[in-house]
Amino acid sequence: MPYPTEPLEILGAWVGALLTIFIYSYILWRENYAFRWAEHTYIASTFAVAIVQAIRLIRTNIVAPLMEGDIRYIVPIILGLMFYTLPFRRYRWISRYTVSFLIGIGFGVTVRGALSADIVKQILSSVTAPTGGTAMDWFNFIWVSLGFVFIVSYFTFTVEHKGWYYFPTKIGRYILMLGLGVYFGNTVQFRMAMLSGRVQYLLRVFKIIPWP
Amino acid sequence: MTEAEKSIWIKMAEIDRRIIYWALFLLLAVPFIHPLMLPVSISETTKSLYDFIEGLGPDDIVVIGIQSGVSAWPECLPGLVAVTKHLVSRGVKIIVWGFYTDVDMTMNAIKARVPQLKWPDEEVGPGDYKYGEDWVYVGLIAGGEPSVAALADDLHAVIKADYFGTPIDQIPLLSKVKGAKDIALVITSDTGDYGWYYVRQWNSRYGTPIAEVGIAMIYSEFIPYYRAGQVVGLLKGCRGGAEYETLIKSPGEGIQRMDALNVSHLLTIFFIIIGNIGYFATRKYRR
Repeated sequence: MPYPTEPLEILGAWVGALLTIFIYSYILWRENYAFRWAEHTYIASTFAVAIVQAIRLIRTNIVAPLMEGDIRYIVPIILGLMFYTLPFRRYRWISRYTVSFLIGIGFGVTVRGALSADIVKQILSSVTAPTGGTAMDWFNFIWVSLGFVFIVSYFTFTVEHKGWYYFPTKIGRYILMLGLGVYFGNTVQFRMAMLSGRVQYLLRVFKIIPWP
Repeated sequence: MTEAEKSIWIKMAEIDRRIIYWALFLLLAVPFIHPLMLPVSISETTKSLYDFIEGLGPDDIVVIGIQSGVSAWPECLPGLVAVTKHLVSRGVKIIVWGFYTDVDMTMNAIKARVPQLKWPDEEVGPGDYKYGEDWVYVGLIAGGEPSVAALADDLHAVIKADYFGTPIDQIPLLSKVKGAKDIALVITSDTGDYGWYYVRQWNSRYGTPIAEVGIAMIYSEFIPYYRAGQVVGLLKGCRGGAEYETLIKSPGEGIQRMDALNVSHLLTIFFIIIGNIGYFATRKYRR
């Protein structure tokens, strides 16, 4: 794609670059007017996009079928409207029916899949030996299965972590810390990727490197 | 301890954050201006996804679920683009939807980088993807896990029309699909929890293969699911994108960004070492 040629596109690219600089000004000068303005602009534009999307969604998924005579859609409309009584202290109780409905459905749906996906299959995978795998597969299996047992022992609070039980819990704690270190390393990668994306964008807008 | 007493060790332990940020910013810029072309090794999880898609063909339908926002483009977009290019090269049918409000912007960004995907009003040439027959963009879908579950059960109950408002029964590709059983693969791109929703509601209940093209933090959390066979492949953020670009021999923004990432990680390690040397050298003063 060539560098934008339309005035509005060029303006958009420069506004993006300036907002990026304004946001990063926080790093150098803490809270300042440029940062605050960019932050508010971001929130406002995100909110605007959300409203437009919500209106489109309601029109397509609720209003259109209702206009075609499918009166079942009145139920979610009423439940949705009930939610808007939340700001009014006197009528707040009405919104609780919507909330309880959402929690009930959400919990039921989640538990249905979670038992198998997050518990049974994970335990089976942790304690099942590889069939004819490489030495690394066996190392992984032993590491994961022992780590699993040690970490579970660390989170067992009904038995005090002392005597013979001290060592597995201690090892479990170290393995847990190792895992958190890996997780944090990935977090650093994520943050650096975000920053590199912004640097790349600025270089493109300033025509130092080609537009994608 | 007064300022005058501060030794070089203390200065090492207390480097001004502004120096770190400026060093980082300038070092990140260098590889974009003068690419270092450092090699990218291929992870097992990336190769696994590549192999899986290699096994798909024009009779298969793949769902791309975009649950990563515009803010995560540097991490997720290279992978999404590379995977979409691969799907297009295999002739696989594609359905795209998303649960984040800025999904339209991400779709436009993918389309700009995969020009074979054509909107309904665009002219279709040889090798292009005709809208409605080869690919469909549903747009935003509301709701969390219950919506993902409902999509798996009956797509038509949740989606009434595509992004352009065309009723679902008038779209040839969507009229072929009833639910999760008709989908060969779900590629989910996440910054949050949606990947788990697909694993729980699509894979666990219907056995639909799932692949994750998410941010780097998601990768660590998905490794157990990959080991358990619940996920067929994972791309680790921008790095995963770079690996996939290497595999499909289509260098893009992932590979461009890898040099910058490598340099930034080296700088981070350098400052960690400097800070720790300073800390241990000055421990006696602090006591």
